[in-house]
This record gives sequence, C-alpha cells and structure tokens, in this order.
Amino acid sequence: MKVLYSWLREFVDVPESAEAIGRRLSVRGLALEGLDPFDSPASPGSLGAVPGDAVLDFDVTANRPDCLSIIGIAREIATVYGVPLRIAGSVGRNLSSGGTAGADAPADDTPLPITIEEPDLCARYVGARANVHVGPSPAWMQARLTACGVRPISNIVDITNYVLIEMGHPMHAFDLDRLAGPGIRVRRAKTGETVKTLDGKSRVLTPDTLVIADADRAQAIGGVMGGADSEVSQATRRIVFEAAWFNPSSVRATSKRLALRTEASMRFERGADLTAPARAIARACELLETIGAGHATGAAVDIYPRPPAAIDVTLERRGVSGLLGMEVPDAHVVRILTSLGFGVTDLAPHAGGPSDGWRVAVPSWRVDIHRPVDLIEEVGRHHGFEHLPATFPGVQQAPAASDPRIARDRRVRDALLGMGFSEAITFGFIEASAAAMFGARLVALANPLSENFAVMRPSLLPGLVDAVSHNRRHSRPDVRLFEIGTRFSPEGETRGVALAWTGLATPDHWSGSRRAVDFFDIKGVVEQLAAQAAIVPAFVDTDTPYLVGGRAAAVHVNGRVIGLLGELANEVTNARNLPEGGAVYVAELNLDVLTALAPAEVLRAVPLPKYPSVVRDVSILVDDALSAESVRGTIQAAAPATLAHVQEFDRYQGKGVPDGKVSLSLRLTFQTPDRTLTDDEVQAGMQGIIAALVRDANAVQR
Amino acid sequence: MTAIDPTIGPDRARDVFHAELALVRTDAELQALRTRWIGRKGSWVAAFMDSLATATPDLKRSLGKSANELKKAVEAAVAERESAIAATRHPAHAVDVTLPGRTPALGFRHPLSLIRDEVNMIFTRLGYQVLEGPEIEDDYHNFEALNMPDEHPARDMQDTLYLQVPQVPQVPQVPQVPQVLQVRHAPRAKAPQPLTLLRTHTSAMQIRHMEQHDPPVRLVAIGPVYRRDNLDLTHTPMFHQVEGLVVGKGITLADLKGTLTSMAAALFGEGTVIRFRPSFFPYTEPSAEVDIQCLRCKGVGCPMCKRTGWLEILGSGMVHPAVFEAVGYDAGEVTGFAFGMGVERVALLKWGVEDIRLFYENDLRFLEQFGL
Repeated sequence: MKVLYSWLREFVDVPESAEAIGRRLSVRGLALEGLDPFDSPASPGSLGAVPGDAVLDFDVTANRPDCLSIIGIAREIATVYGVPLRIAGSVGRNLSSGGTAGADAPADDTPLPITIEEPDLCARYVGARANVHVGPSPAWMQARLTACGVRPISNIVDITNYVLIEMGHPMHAFDLDRLAGPGIRVRRAKTGETVKTLDGKSRVLTPDTLVIADADRAQAIGGVMGGADSEVSQATRRIVFEAAWFNPSSVRATSKRLALRTEASMRFERGADLTAPARAIARACELLETIGAGHATGAAVDIYPRPPAAIDVTLERRGVSGLLGMEVPDAHVVRILTSLGFGVTDLAPHAGGPSDGWRVAVPSWRVDIHRPVDLIEEVGRHHGFEHLPATFPGVQQAPAASDPRIARDRRVRDALLGMGFSEAITFGFIEASAAAMFGARLVALANPLSENFAVMRPSLLPGLVDAVSHNRRHSRPDVRLFEIGTRFSPEGETRGVALAWTGLATPDHWSGSRRAVDFFDIKGVVEQLAAQAAIVPAFVDTDTPYLVGGRAAAVHVNGRVIGLLGELANEVTNARNLPEGGAVYVAELNLDVLTALAPAEVLRAVPLPKYPSVVRDVSILVDDALSAESVRGTIQAAAPATLAHVQEFDRYQGKGVPDGKVSLSLRLTFQTPDRTLTDDEVQAGMQGIIAALVRDANAVQR
Repeated sequence: MTAIDPTIGPDRARDVFHAELALVRTDAELQALRTRWIGRKGSWVAAFMDSLATATPDLKRSLGKSANELKKAVEAAVAERESAIAATRHPAHAVDVTLPGRTPALGFRHPLSLIRDEVNMIFTRLGYQVLEGPEIEDDYHNFEALNMPDEHPARDMQDTLYLQVPQVPQVPQVPQVPQVLQVRHAPRAKAPQPLTLLRTHTSAMQIRHMEQHDPPVRLVAIGPVYRRDNLDLTHTPMFHQVEGLVVGKGITLADLKGTLTSMAAALFGEGTVIRFRPSFFPYTEPSAEVDIQCLRCKGVGCPMCKRTGWLEILGSGMVHPAVFEAVGYDAGEVTGFAFGMGVERVALLKWGVEDIRLFYENDLRFLEQFGL
C-alpha cells in the first residue's frame, strides 16, 4: 500500500520524517517495503508542497484491510507516537449528520430505487445521485492519486479513487443516463449473462456471481469491477455513486473465477467496514463540491437490512502477561486499545482488588478481531516486542524419541560420504519423460509449474543422472553422487538412497594405477551399505529398461527385491542428453525396507575368537559360465562346520587356461570358537571340498 | 666472509667463529670454514701463532694455550656440524616428500544437509523430538486445521501444487513402529481424507502430531515443501523448512524469543542479535517475523540487508486457539509457540550464497566447498 506522507499528515500530526516513521512502523506491524521522495505540486490552500514529502510503501498483511487506506495507517502512526488521530469534515461524517444535496442543486423528488435481492452477498448498499460536469480533476488530487499508484482518469472517477485510498472503501460511479431506468438491483447473474467490464473484456457470468444490474441487465460485477456500458464518460451529465459492502468469500471466489483482481476486490475479500459506505458517499459528495465537479441531487439512499450487533471481547489482565511473557502496565493496555479505536471499559472490580481486566468494544473496521488473543497481539505489538525478555519453556516431561528414519539416514549418509560419494539434493518433481523409464505408475501434478516439474519422481535416479550431466558439462568427468530422499507412487511415499558413479574409480596419480569405474565398484558400495545394515543380500541378474542388460542386478533379501544396480542404459543417457564420458553406474535401494530387514541382534557384540584361524588357498579351472555364487555354494555344501569364510582372490582367463574355462583362486578360512584346529582336520575338510568341486562343478585342481 | 683478523685475541676469535658457523649450510662451506680458522697455512691459528714469535715466553705460553684450546673447540664444532649436515642428506630409500599423496576419496555433505543436521542437533539438545512427515498431504492438515478454511485470502500467500489424482492416505512404511505413530489416546483426527496436494509448509506435521498426542509437545519437523514459485535467484518451487512447535502450560512469546535467540546464536554465531516484527499468519496469534541483525554490516545498513540492517529469517508466533480447537486441545489450558524457517534461506545468509539454484544443481565445485 503506497501512501503519501503529506496526505497522512492531514490525519495525524506526525512529529518525524517519513523515513523515521517507516522504520518505527516496521517493528509495529506495517513493514516498509519502499520509500521514494515525492514532489508535491504547489497548489493553493492547505495542500501545498510539503518539504520532505515522500511515498511510503507498506506491506499490509492480509488480516488488516483497514490499513489499506490513509486513515488506517494514520491510526497506527497515531498509536505508535501517542498523538491523536484527527478525522475532520465529512471524512468521519455519516449521512445523517451532513447534507448531501448541494444547495443550488434541484432536488430529485423520487428516491433512488435500490433493491438488494441477495442480502447475504451484499449486506449494505448506499447510492447517491449527482449532476456533474466531467473533466480533469485538480492537480493536487491527480498528484495524490499518482503518488499512491492510481492513474487519474476524470474528476468523477478520481473522486471514487480518492475516497478508496483515503478511507479504504471502494466506490463506483455509474452514468445514470446509460442505465435502463433509475432503479438498481443487486442480484445474482443469470446463467450465461454477459457483462463488458471496464477493462474492455466481455465476461460470461454464472449464478455464483453477484452483479449490480439496472432494469434490464448486469452493469457491474459487485465488488470487483464496473461495466463499460455505464462507464462515466465526457458526455456524462448525471451519475450514481455506489458505496456498498460485499461478502468476502463471494468476492474472492468471483475474483478468482474471472482471474480479475482489483483494488476493490482485494479490499472486499479481506473484509470491508460495514459502517463505511455511508461515510464514503458523504465524502464523495463533499469532494464533488470541493473540486467543483458537480452537486448531489436528493438524499442518498442507504439499504442496510440487518446491521449486525457490535462485538465485545473480554480481555483478562493475566491473559496478556500469560501469553506474552511480559508485563504491560494497565495504562498502556488502555491507551493502545483506545488509540486504535477500541472502546475500553473496566470489568467490575472485585471487592478490595482491581478488576480482572476489560470489556473491549471492537470497532467496525477491525474485522480481524474476534478473540482475546487478537487483542493481546494489538497490545503486545504496540507495547513493543523489543521489550520481550528471552526466556525458555520449562521441560514438563522427558523428551520423546525422534523419527527413527533420521538416525538411519544419517548412518547411510555417513557411510557413503566415507566412500567418496558427495550428497546431492534434487527436486521432488521431474519431467514426465524422465520419469517414464523408472516407473510405470506415476503421481502427476494437476497444475505443474512447467513440463520440467510435471510428475513426482518414482525414483531418485533421474535427478542424479541430471546432476551427473551438469557436472560433465562443467568439466567434472569423475562424479560420485548420492541422494537420500522420497520416491512417490500411487501407493504412497518411500524413502530411498540412490548412487551414481562415473569416470575414474581410482583418481589420476603420479604412481599410475588409474582405473575407470566398473560394475564391481558400485556393487561393493551396495555390499558395504548392506553390511552396515547387517544384512546379506543376494545379487540376481535382472532385466530392467534403464540398465544395460548383462550388467544389471537386483538386490534380494529374503526373497524380496530391495533395489537395483548396474550400468545406466544408453536410452537413458541419450534421452537426458548426457555428454560423452564413459559408463555411468547407478544403484538405488529402498531404505525403509532395508532397515526393516536388519535383524535386531545387530547391536549385540560378539566375543572375539580365542583360537587362531587356519587359511588354505585352492586354485581350480571351471567353466567360465559357472557363477561364482554356484562355486561358493558347492564349497559351502561340502565344507565342515569349521569353514568360516570363502573369498575369491583371483580370477584369470588367457594364456595357460583353455578356452571356455576360467582359473579361479579361492581363500578358505577355518575357525572354531572352542579350540585350535589341527592340520589334519583342516586337510580332511579341504579334500572333501575339492572332491565336491571336481564332482559337482566339473573343476580341475591346478 | 671477511678475512680473519689475526690480531684479535682467542676469546674474541671464538665469538667470530661461532657467528660464522651459524651461517654454514653445506658440507663444502663447512670445510672452507675449517681451513680458514685452523688450516695448516694462512688460517687464523697459523697467523696468530706466527704473531706470537716475538712475544715474551710467558705470554707466548698462555696465549698459545688459549689458541690451542680454540683449535680443539673449532675441530669439535666442525665435527658436530658435519654429522648434522650428513643426517639431512637423503639415504638410498628416501622418497620425495613433496610429491602429492594418494588422497582417499571423501564425499561432501550437501550444504542444506549441514544446516538441517545443525538445526536437528540444536533442538535435540534443547529436548525436542525431531520428526519427518509425509510430503503429500490433504487439504485439511495443510490448510483447514491451520485456520485457513477454503476461500481464506491467506491461501494466496502459498500457491499450492495439487495432484492430478487424489491418493488414498497410507500409513508411512516406517520401520519399528516409531513413536511418531504411537497413539496415546483416542485419535482426534478426522477420518482420513484423500491426499490431494504437496505440502506447502511443514506446519501440516504440527496437526498430525497433536491429533495423536496429548500435550506437552516439543518438536521440530524438517523436510521439503513445495510451492508454485518460479525458479529465480531467491525462489525454488521446492525448498526445505524447519518447523518448531512447543505446547504446554504457560508457554509464552518470551519463551519463543529465548529459544530463537539461542538458535540464531548456534546457527550464525554467538551474540547474533534478533528482533521480532509483528506480522500475520492465520495459524498464530500474535505472529512475528524474526530478523537477525545483518551478518555483513552488523546493522549499519548495506546492500545485503537492503540498507535496513536486518535480515528476515523466519515466521513465528503463538499457536492460534483455532488450531488447538482443531486438534482437540483445550486452548484455555495450554498455550504454545510455533515457528517455520527456510533452510535454504539460512544457508544463503550464512555462507553468502547469491543464487539459491546452486543448491539444486549439485555442482561438485560448489558442494566441495562445504566439507564434511
């Protein structure tokens, strides 16, 4: 809300500069967003140039429609500085107390016929007729409107806008001669009824829309915008001023439906002052005289079927300090509320003691005040939050446990950081085309910001692939990234961890040893994560659209698939425009399942072995199609219970190994907790194992 | 090195020798020094002895003795320095210690993660529980129960993203039946509503928690939230929020100030000054925006704080009675405070990052600036 410093000064004797006022108000509830110097044009009377004049732009919160006005902000300033608010002349006068008919205007005998058919949507409607001479408004009025961001149009329209800015109440002026008959009806639009609004657009209406109509058709959309057909023009001779009160929800719905936000709709949807329409009409008629634009004819007509009862709120003294945590002296409470326009009376005092607090009458413009806390806020902010002490809430019970996912995710994160993966965070929504390959059943957004953010990610991998792509484009060929985050499906949310690794597995070093990442690098990371969760997964060949066939594995635990790993398929890298740069290995695990599967015993310490282990190596030739898992299975099936560990430590094909065969070297560790194993029993065990390998795996010992 | 003056006495000569020895760095320099002081010909000792030829026998004896002692001292000092120099010479197995080592790979934590962990730690220390809620929400928990009924103008403050097809709410697949879901009393929650939107704030978690738990409450909820904001220097359509909620008997706005002062000190440095500015949120009353004194100019006014001396970091206030009514708490019995803070905002201010989009590009050159 832009307000002119000199205009404010008409209502409050401000003892400070515009800048100082802006600073003070910023910590009292009206944040200053901008401050621009303004040259008021010199003009006769009290409206001459003011030295140091400026436009203050305040951010008015949605609960304070009353501050969308000069008077509203002046009232806040008066309260902040402890000076009186000066409301003089017709600004504060109601219809009853001021003549609306100009002395020399011919009185119009017949009252303006106004019918409110929808009192729920329009609680009050005040209309006044006037004879006018349309022309430009005076320079001072144009200057003030311009300063407050309103474009001057003509004296009549400018008067309605002047009242809007000054009092905060929207008005409208109809060209009376362009209405079908003098009567005004406030009714719902008929289905398919159209109205051409002031912005020149023709709008098709529904019965949800409240219109101001003449005898024939809609002439304005109530509380939103006037109609072009009855717009005041140079040819206009007679007008009707409208000041009304429209239902906030109805105006908001209409404004949204028509995508039409106006100064009027903004104020009505937040809640206008029910008592303001009569004052607004009086002020407009006075301005008409003041600037010589015309005269009201006849008395204004005020249709106000059900004036609501005034609201009283009881404010308890202990409620103030109890909620704020600071004491505010009684005199301050009363001064602040009174200055803001509340009526404050002491509650009946107790015998021999003070009363419990105050009965507070809420002024009609404070549509935000319903409960004691609303008053406590008023008292608190004007007393000053800077006076709040810094205290701490007392602990009333033992702290409750945190979400177990937090500690779990931290362990996973720490393990991956230690393995050289940096943490990525990507958006939860992605392009539909990027998601399609990773999940068939997507969660789509109804109103996405753009195609790039159209569906919720079914997997963390698309985001990571884009991150790899970004790094490659910025001269970082070696990338190791992970992300822990939510994946979405129509069945709900799951937490996952995804990895992407591309480029070198071992970095360039002067000693050599440079090597690109391969399947077993990413698998090792997955195995390490599984080990941290105390589970032993099985890795099974798999076929999935986004991984290269033959270099893709599903991670099985107890027969359940908890994730996938492998080399990213060309279809994905091409679709995502990944710059050239070698294979990208990826993995993704469902963390929620991973942790659920971890046995609880994981935290029990195992005593260290008291007796030494015995290690034996064996080298065999087997078919190269035979999987390592199968060889290991044969060994374990034939081994005595003392076999503790099997490790492949060499695998060789080439010179000295027949085609179709592979030389496999395994290290077997034997151990038993209760004694030292003898050479003989280990030897016997080895013989059994080798015999089984020869028999079941068609192996030849080397 | 100047020529040795043979006319100085042995005592003075000893000082000169040691001063020169201190400057010697190499073996060659050491041998040259030795020759000049005690060599057979032309050395200081030789010249000094020559100069004694005409001296009285007594004098010759005493000065000669001093000269000999000096000679021995020189020999000893030279030998000592010789072995010291030898010790620094590379043996056969020596490596070039200036070549780069093999640096083990180490990942870098995302800066938003660093802030989240820090907030987590600060509040865990203060006895809060840390929660994470669902990202897909229903209208009731995200808006209605937070005193934002449909058609409330405040809904404009948070432009919402909606799902194409509403989802049936699921109990989150959280392991080990966490306390988050443990019901302590008959749930006051409304019948589950279809999930229709991406949560616009973590405040939805407040409602979910209070529906299931009696007061007192002391929690922070951290996680991503979504709004229909275009990407620019200061906005992303997804960002992270920290929500704090404390409910109990006698909780005050002053308690909120103390808590946030403590948090600001932990996040931005001891002595960080904060201020409360009255504001408006539908779910708090009174409401306050909280600023910290500008980290760059310390309140004087600079471009970073737009010359105000202050930086806005969060919104907060006392829980609105309507919110308590929605979850079945007695607003006459308990009070509470709540605050919501943008994680990105804190990171931008703390590290002077000028473009919020950097947090979502995952450029290693950026991430590697932040360490573990």
